[in-house]
Amino acid sequence: MSEQTGKQMSKEEKDARFEAELLPVLDPLYNFAYRLTLDEDDANDLVQETYLKAYRFFDYFEQGTNAKAWLFRILKNSFINEFRKKSKQPAKVDYSEVEGYYNSDDVEGEGGVATTTDMRTESVQDLIGDEVASALNALPVDFRTVIILCDLEGFTYEEMAKILDIPIGTVRSRLHRARNSLKEKLEKYAKSMGYNG
Amino acid sequence: MESKFTEAHQRVSEDGYESECDKVAHLLDLMIDGEASSEEQSYFNTHIEECIPCFESHHKQKLLKGLVSGHLKRVIVPESLALSIKARIQETV
Ligand SMILES: [Zn+2]
Repeated sequence: MSEQTGKQMSKEEKDARFEAELLPVLDPLYNFAYRLTLDEDDANDLVQETYLKAYRFFDYFEQGTNAKAWLFRILKNSFINEFRKKSKQPAKVDYSEVEGYYNSDDVEGEGGVATTTDMRTESVQDLIGDEVASALNALPVDFRTVIILCDLEGFTYEEMAKILDIPIGTVRSRLHRARNSLKEKLEKYAKSMGYNG
Repeated sequence: MESKFTEAHQRVSEDGYESECDKVAHLLDLMIDGEASSEEQSYFNTHIEECIPCFESHHKQKLLKGLVSGHLKRVIVPESLALSIKARIQETV
């Protein structure tokens, strides 16, 4: 139930509660901001802005409810409403670079991702991480967002629907298209590395 | 894995939900994201025990999810960030 305890709290109590409940989300929030903006300074600004907004609305935050989802929603709205306009459009930044060293004509076929099971050494692990990042960064921001929320942060479809203000059906279809897109990029890479099915 | 697979349930059509495989494809994301109901799960699992293409699609989709969750590096939060958030909050009335 939402009793607005914030009104009766001293500033010290409010600050302490704010820090205890919301600062633990800093790491995932910063990572989300970074994956949206693809820039560390921009991520920094976006996260600060998010926390300041959260502080202003903290009286309306129901204690014990999903602080992480709440902050992600505020951050995503800040990104769309203000941030995206004033910063450079980041969606396709790495795309041409990534595409450059792919053989672009053999998109078809299968088994690329499925056949990467033999990659064991650490340097190869790093390589995979870098490649996943490049492929992900090359996706449109809406696709990137659902993959981050679902696969990296483990939000449920219902939580994602709330964070993004879209119906669950839209979450599902967007996620599906995003994964197809990501799969296509990674399969090209797997092939170029000789991991054919 | 022992193959009691058959080709009986191969995809019939690319559009619509005319075959079991189409329904299964529709459940793929729900399954790997842990969002399928128990009925959907048992429908799905029963089908992929007998259908190689759907079994493989499932395998691939799980790998894809694992690439993101297991290999994407997290960025390190700058140490100054938490401090500056606290500072700005304290000066907010
Ligand atoms: Zn099938």
